[in-house]
Amino acid sequence: MIKTKKPIIRLENVSKKYDEYGVVVNALDNVSLKIDKGEFVSIIGPSGCGKSTLLHCMGLLDRPSEGKVLIEEKDTTKISGKEIAEFRGTKLGFVFQNYNLIPRLTVLENVVLPGLIMNKKQKELEEKARVLLKEVGIYHRADHKGIHLSGGEQQRVAIARALINDPVLLLADEPTGALDTDSSTEIMKILLNLNKTRGTTSIFVSHEIEIAKFGIRTLAIKDGKIVGDTKEKGSDFESVVKSFKNNYNGG
Amino acid sequence: MGVSRRLAIGELKEHKRIYAIIVLVIALTMTSFMLENAYLNYMMQVVDDTTKLVTSDAVIVDPSSNLRDLYGTEPELKNAGRIARQIESELSNWETSIRVTAQGTYGLGVEGEAVDGCTIQGIDPIKDDKISSIKSKIVSGRYFKDSDPILRGHTPLYIEIEGPGDLPNFVYGTGERLLEEDEPYPIIVGATAAKMHPSVDVGNTFGLTLSVSGKESSYATINVQVIGLYESGTPTLDALMWFMHADSLREIKRYGNVEGKDWVVPGVGTFRGYNPITVDRDRGDVVIVKAPEPLHQLNPVAHAQDVSNTLEEIFPYLDVYNWHDFLVYIAGSMQDVVTIMLWGSILVTLFLCGAAIKYVMDSIIMRKTREIGSLKAFGARDRVVFKIFLYQGLIIGIIAGLLGIVFSLAVMNFVNWYGLSVEFIAGTQLEIGFIVNWLTLVTALALPVILSVLAAAIPAKKASMLSPVEALRKGELSL
Repeated sequence: MIKTKKPIIRLENVSKKYDEYGVVVNALDNVSLKIDKGEFVSIIGPSGCGKSTLLHCMGLLDRPSEGKVLIEEKDTTKISGKEIAEFRGTKLGFVFQNYNLIPRLTVLENVVLPGLIMNKKQKELEEKARVLLKEVGIYHRADHKGIHLSGGEQQRVAIARALINDPVLLLADEPTGALDTDSSTEIMKILLNLNKTRGTTSIFVSHEIEIAKFGIRTLAIKDGKIVGDTKEKGSDFESVVKSFKNNYNGG
Repeated sequence: MGVSRRLAIGELKEHKRIYAIIVLVIALTMTSFMLENAYLNYMMQVVDDTTKLVTSDAVIVDPSSNLRDLYGTEPELKNAGRIARQIESELSNWETSIRVTAQGTYGLGVEGEAVDGCTIQGIDPIKDDKISSIKSKIVSGRYFKDSDPILRGHTPLYIEIEGPGDLPNFVYGTGERLLEEDEPYPIIVGATAAKMHPSVDVGNTFGLTLSVSGKESSYATINVQVIGLYESGTPTLDALMWFMHADSLREIKRYGNVEGKDWVVPGVGTFRGYNPITVDRDRGDVVIVKAPEPLHQLNPVAHAQDVSNTLEEIFPYLDVYNWHDFLVYIAGSMQDVVTIMLWGSILVTLFLCGAAIKYVMDSIIMRKTREIGSLKAFGARDRVVFKIFLYQGLIIGIIAGLLGIVFSLAVMNFVNWYGLSVEFIAGTQLEIGFIVNWLTLVTALALPVILSVLAAAIPAKKASMLSPVEALRKGELSL
């Protein structure tokens, strides 16, 4: 018997159109893809190519104009707002470019917040948050206010926060976009390590090729279409990058 | 504690300065509301006490009178005795008594004292419904007793001069007994009047000029002796309302078998010198009616109306007023105006506070759209976001309401302790008092809560309806 891997997320002919001052913009154009459990995927592309829109659609933050987004094979395009919120809270974890910590809360309070939203018990959440903070190397600042942390530290907290509800999929939108090179590398190593140790399926978006290289699988997107995927036969990172960046020389 | 409430408290702490100002303004508004309302309640209580002392449950008066005449200017009620007896015979356990009333002026010609007015209620000292409340309030001297010279055995000299044309006759009576030393009528007066008029004290005799009917120009100057001072707890009432024996006033008003001698001067009038009269206890100005207490009195106003209706059925040709009619007449319009002004000013201020809450929250939401977007990304439903802002409004309202109540109670206690008073009717000092009832307390708390919750609901709805992706994008832009 052939055992097929159940995809964590599957997109079927997803399109997203915006109406900007009467002009229809195709942010995503008939995108189909499948990401399996445990994958560590980077999405790369030039500014305005639709990579964040793709991430938002996968994260159920935005609804596609056409097509289906299936998470663990459940079609999310036909479910109610309440169920979508439930999905976001239980199945997905988000890391944002600007960390989005709540400045008046401590690091620990920020981490437990998504759990509280899902009505989980405070004590259990705090225990779990401490473990996560140790994993991302920021436990020593658990009682500090988020606002007093450096960018790299804040992003570590944001990663811990994204994992508090044990999501099946971690989505990171330019997670290193506001960080210097060293901090960016550290953050990517943390994400990669979590993928290895916890098996967390992760998808991150970046416009930086050096960051996208961390992806075990890389997707390239251009003009709302997927133009390269390292999972395809005969493709590698360089060919994928070249698919949207003609002058890329591998450096 | 739910996450919405926890975040709401955090938001309030973060913006404590601006919210503290709003809370303080609402609290002060509610303090003003509580003080004015409690003072109004107190004033209404004063009026209510006065009203009930005059009317009991209801009064029956001559149809030519109006409510204003209940202060002592009502004309004689024809067949008062028969009316009273008819009520007692037709309605079981209903009690009646007949009052004779007049208006008085005192202090005339007394050095160092002002001239003041009062209402003289001539009561039946055995049957009147209000005896117990008068007796229990006597603070100096005593109540009427049988040996008092209630009737002096004669009537004063009267001069009745025919009014020219359609004008009423002018009647003047003097309290001086012709050629003999006069014995004064006993009277119970208010302690406030005694405080303001040293000549008015227990055992003192002084002259009292009575206007015995508002519809005729009938006057008498009589001597009275104070036998007791009463203190109702309402200084204004004490200063205005004095009590004599009904028979004394009957004698003065000539309600009885009169024998006398007339000297008629053509074109001028009649001079009459009266001999002793026999008072007719069936004659009087007002029949006071006390109905049996209902078993459960949940609505005293409805009970008063029931009493009136019952009496009006028996005496359709007479005027019946219950205590509530009187209360509405003397205080209703004043209360209405004050209440409208009070509510008007309170609502305007609260509306402005509500607008302030809305605009502060709007501006906070504009700055916090990314935070709202993040919460939604973490699984927060619209309801959770809505409640974050709604709780803020609720907490602001509760704190403001409670602070308003605490402030106002502190002011009330201070005023009570210090003993503030204001100049009132007839030179009396009305001590400022407060009556806080449950309705006032509940309103003082509910009003700011409702207002701030409503004011918060608009931005809260707006925040909850933000799509997460829009909120995250707008947040990026607003940074």
